[in-house]
This record gives sequence, C-alpha cells and structure tokens, in this order.
Amino acid sequence: MPLHNRRGKKMSVEPMKLFFKEIKEPVETAMIGNYAVAGGVTQTDPDVICAFPITPQTQSVEGLSDVVHQGRLKAAFVNVESELAAMSYATAACAAGARAFTATASQGYLLMAEGLPMAVGWRLPLTMMISARAFNAPNLSIWNQWEYCQVNSELGWNIIVSENVQETYDASILSVMISEDSLFPTIFVHDGFIISHSVQKLTLIPDEIVRRMTPKKSRHTIDPSKPGVWGGIVTPDYFMEGRISLDEAKKPVLGQMKSTFDKFKSETGREYNLIETYNLDNSSKTAICTMGSLCGNVISWMTKNQDIGLIKIRAYRPFPVEELRKIVEEHNIEKLILLEKSDALNGMLPPFSMSVATALYPLKTLFRSFIVGLGGRDVTRDEFNIAKKKMETVTDMKGSLYTYLGVRETKQKIVGVDQ
Amino acid sequence: MLTKEEIQDALKENCINLRFHARGGQGGVTASNLCVEAFHGYGVCQPRFGAERMGSPTESYVRLSYNDDLVRNNEQVYGPHAVSVLDSSLLGEIDVTAGLAPGGWLIVNTTMDQISLQEIVGRDDINIATIDALNIAMEILGRNITNTIILGALIRVLPMFTMDALADAIMMRFKGSIAGKNVEAIKRAIDDTCVYENSNAPKIDFSKDTKIQWQQVSLGLPGYKELDKAGVWYCDETVIEMGSKLVNTGSWGEWDMIWNKDTCTDCAQCWYICPDFAILREKGDDGLWHMVGIDQYHCKSCLNCLEVCPVKAISKELKQGPASCAAPQ
Repeated sequence: MPLHNRRGKKMSVEPMKLFFKEIKEPVETAMIGNYAVAGGVTQTDPDVICAFPITPQTQSVEGLSDVVHQGRLKAAFVNVESELAAMSYATAACAAGARAFTATASQGYLLMAEGLPMAVGWRLPLTMMISARAFNAPNLSIWNQWEYCQVNSELGWNIIVSENVQETYDASILSVMISEDSLFPTIFVHDGFIISHSVQKLTLIPDEIVRRMTPKKSRHTIDPSKPGVWGGIVTPDYFMEGRISLDEAKKPVLGQMKSTFDKFKSETGREYNLIETYNLDNSSKTAICTMGSLCGNVISWMTKNQDIGLIKIRAYRPFPVEELRKIVEEHNIEKLILLEKSDALNGMLPPFSMSVATALYPLKTLFRSFIVGLGGRDVTRDEFNIAKKKMETVTDMKGSLYTYLGVRETKQKIVGVDQ
Repeated sequence: MLTKEEIQDALKENCINLRFHARGGQGGVTASNLCVEAFHGYGVCQPRFGAERMGSPTESYVRLSYNDDLVRNNEQVYGPHAVSVLDSSLLGEIDVTAGLAPGGWLIVNTTMDQISLQEIVGRDDINIATIDALNIAMEILGRNITNTIILGALIRVLPMFTMDALADAIMMRFKGSIAGKNVEAIKRAIDDTCVYENSNAPKIDFSKDTKIQWQQVSLGLPGYKELDKAGVWYCDETVIEMGSKLVNTGSWGEWDMIWNKDTCTDCAQCWYICPDFAILREKGDDGLWHMVGIDQYHCKSCLNCLEVCPVKAISKELKQGPASCAAPQ
C-alpha cells in the first residue's frame, strides 16, 4: 500500500528524484553523502536491499526505499527486525545469486558480527556501507569515530574508505565491482555526519556507464539442481584447508582493486588508488598518514604547511603493505605522523596505526600515533600543528608510541599542550 | 561595502564562511544548501552535527571558494564572515556573533533597528543588515517561510553569487509557482534590505583565521581528571551542570500551556506522560502530591498533557512572537 502525502502523490525524498529517471549524461549536483550512496547503489541495480536504520546511516536506506517504492528500482526492499537479521538475510540472498546491499554503523555493526564471517567464507560479493560512528562506551555517542577499525576488520571483508561525498558515491559503485571481481564482500566507509550529512557537489555517472562497469556475471550460487551443504560442520581434518584457501584467494584482491580503479578511471576520468600521496618530496621528509574525511582537513592545512606530506590510505583491508613500503622508501620518508580516530585501551597502538606499523617494521621509519576526533570531536589545524611540532623532536622509537590530542585534562588544561 | 569584484577576488585564494541560525523547521539548512548550489565554484554545506528537532535552535555552515583545497576541509565553521539569523527570538538565546570576523556582517530577519541589535549582540566591530522577511513572505509567498528571502539580504552585502545563479538553484529545487514566487521574494529582499555600515568596523580580512585556538576542545568544561569514572552523570553532583535543566526547550514550541487549578483532580496522568518533567508538583500538608503549575521554561508544547487530561484542566494558547513560525505546515 503506497504511502501518500496530502496532495495525493507518492511520498518521495527530494534529492532522490534525480535517480528516478535514466541518467543519460554526467550531472553535476549537490547532496549529502547518504543520499549520494543511495543513488549510487540504485544505479548498480541491486536485487535485494536489506538494512536496519541507525544514525548516521539512515538516509541511505531511506533513499533506497524511496526509489524502490517509486518503481524505479526493481529490487526487494526487505524490512528486518535487527542488523543481525539484515546481515543474515543479505548474505543468504547473495548466496542465492542476488546482488545484495546492506548498511549499518556503530552498535549495528556489532550486532551484525555473528553473521559477518559467512559472506567471506562462502565467497559472496555482498556490499555494505558503514557511516562510521563511535561505539557507546562509557557514554552514548552518535558521532563519528572509526569503529570499523576496532572490531571485525580481520574477518576478511574488503574495506575501502572515502574522504568526501564524490568519493563515497563512487565507492558505492566501485564496491560492487570489487566484490564481484574478488568474490569477497566489500564494506565502503564514510565518516558519519562529517560526510553522511554534509552537502557537497558531486558528478553523477550516467547509468549506461554504471551498467557497463557492473555487469551481472554468473557465479557459484545455491542451486536446487546441484544440491550441496553450505556451512556444514567439518572435523579438524578439513577446517584449516578451508581457511588457507581463503587466504590464498585473498592475495590477488589488492591487484583486483587496482585494476578496478583503472577501469573506473577510463570510464569516468576520476582516478583512485589503494594509497594516494600528496607533497611527499617535502623538506622535512615527514608525512601524515591517515584515512577518510581527515585527509580533506589535512590537505587544507597543507596549503600553509608545505613542509609536510600526506599519505591517504583508501584500501584499509586488505592492507596495502607492499605499496606503503614502496612509497615510504621511494620518497625517503623519515617520519610518519599517524592520525587515527580510534583508540585501543591496551597500551599498544590503536588498530590503524598497528597496520601501518606492521608495514613499516622492516624500514625502521620513525612514527608516532595521535588519537584524535573520537565521538565527533572536531579535528582542526590545532591538532595538526601540535602533532607536527611534537614529531620534530622524535628521534627514536622508545616510550609510548601513541598520545591523545585535543582532549581536556582539567577545565583549563589540554592533554599534552603547554599553556 | 566591498564591491562584487573585491569579493570575487577574495574568493580565489580564500574561503568565505557563512553561518545560518534558525529554528528546526524554518529551513536554515535549505538556505545554506542553496548557497552551495548557486555558487560557481567549490562549496560545502554542513549542518551543526547532531539531532535537530522542530523549533530547537539550529545552525548550519557554508564554505565557498574557488580554491578546491580550501573547501576540502571538513571542519565545522568557526570564523564566519557573515551570520544570517532567520528568527530574531534566537538573539536572546544564542550568541549569534560568536567567532564572527571583525568587519563581517550580521544579517537578521527583523524590524528592529541597528542600534538595538548592536546592543543585544554587544559588538561594535561588525556591520549589520536587517530585512523584514516576514512581511515579504506573507505578502508574496502567503506563508511565513523566510529562509530563501534572507539570501537576498546576504548577496546584497556579500555578492558571492548573482541573483540569476540563485534563481537557477531555486528553479532546480522547487517546482511550479513556488519557485517563481521565491525568486520574486528574493529580488524584493535585495531592494528592501536595510544596510548599516559601521564606521568603527575594520575592513574585513578574508585571509585572517578568526578561530580561537583549541576552541573545539571547549576549555572550561570539566577535564577527564575531574569527571566521575564510568561516565556516569550523578544527579546530586555539581561537576557537570545537569544537562537538560539548562536547555530552554520552552523556546521550541508554538503554544503556551495553561493549567486550570479548579478543574484539576491531581490524577497525575500529565505528570507521567510529560517527556520534559515540566509538570510541577508539590507535597501538600495532607501528605499527597498536588500539581502546582507548568514549567514554561522546559515545556515544548508537545500537547501530550492536553490529550491525556480526563477533565480538560489543560488548554493551549498560541505563543506571541517569532518562535511560532516554526509551526509545521
């Protein structure tokens, strides 16, 4: 039963109207990150959309329900009672051969956890959007933090991270391409509120090109004419063989991502890479290494701080270890400032920094990790200035390798800032 | 006032920051979106991140520049060059000129004069423009929607984009006669804006960063060493002033609730249903609790008490003043 507003028309979400018709040429428009994702997903023609709403992800699902409701998208839009149900349903639909999409954030991602490993194990090209938001402890926060780093990142999902609305729109299409090429599920992430709720300009890709980039290919599916047991129990005689075969299959994924980015560039002109670099051949041989919307803040700050470079990690999982090593070596980077929107509470490095540290281990590059922007705390030039200053005096890898920046110690004192 | 050429020149290597103050439902975010859509360069619009509710004070920010790298910043706006206030009732509630660059513009939808406004905001280093948007809205649009009209005043004092570009953006967003009427109203606003250039205000410097260092860290609030373990906010402690007590939710609503003591039977159904604890009760000499009134500072006129009262002891009266324009259409 379609919902109607007072004028008797079918209800619709205003910005989604652009996607009700065939997009014939590149359109420049402005919209929030979540609607841009809903539009991008619409263009990839999913068969099943199944997600549970959670701030700050909600409008992406709302936008998709609208295009389905308007008849533009012939997909099954399934309302479920929880994120675990959403993940289970989307995984099963994908196993049955459907192109499936889901989306979540924060606590929803935790509730999904039980269902997450299966899409990897069964080699299902599922895609999921995460609008990054803090986990609730010790207080509830609906604002941005890199929760996707803190848990579930070793389950085998591909994870790509976007800086702005254009990138997250493109990622919604790229993820489908990466998933279907690698036969591993892919998460694409944007920072909650900062990107999900900011209106930015973007250029939409014509439907014809999206169709060409994301053809529906035949793959292994649940098929009654070929019965089998999916996810049945195995004794210790078999389990490790299953795991190593997944590891083997995961090895070419970074290469597949790269060729996906190349294909995307030749179709749209927009260039992406596993790692993107800015101003690395600078006088201080120092670079900031970070992900997501923080890169935009750093790039603006760099217009006045040209002695610092930026290494922007787009592919967070699989982590581009060799590529990062090569970049650091080729540009003779001596010091890295790692900016990270998550912490670890165990005295060791937080998760993103730990990944970078693993890659850097043979190179002995000096680095420090700075924890910033938890629970939506804004990250500004003040944090970058002090991180740069602190890094100037670092000459070894002794002592604690991480500090919090931009947090009050007392009413009048900020941690690590002499006033 | 800066010329159009000076503004366009400043936009090449600087970011112009705008801030809009409105109440939830008045369309402040739509106004800031239109700025991004009308500007022929790079632009970003952000709401103040959080949950917006009908009638509550809202903020949205815009960054515009011809330099992509500057707009790429994802910070919230700390040093606006122009602040637009859609609802003058906010002037008493919010520090609308916070961070406003010296020589910047305060644009208010009001019939007040600039001397009164200057006294309210306490700033002598800024310029002021006023527009009676309510009057134009009622005359041309036939309803109290002022969010597009204030843009007319904005481009009168800061010509970042032309009226034609704004008209195009409005035609894209609105359909039919509404779009045309909005364009007409904005054109009227450009002419009707009262511009008060302050001779004490310096010439605005777009290259100067007016953000206060570590502003985002909110010094003055308790630090981690002063907070209780486990993030619990105990009601009987004074470390954190109790959150909701300080929030004037009473300014959000469009109705005043009126309680009739004689009809009231003290059944307390309203006390249970009120989401803001705005039903005031006292223990009487008889040892029982009696209703004594309604806390108008916190009552946001959700009307739950009026619905639930079995004896019609609660009634409503439309508030006088600008807050009532947040009423849902």
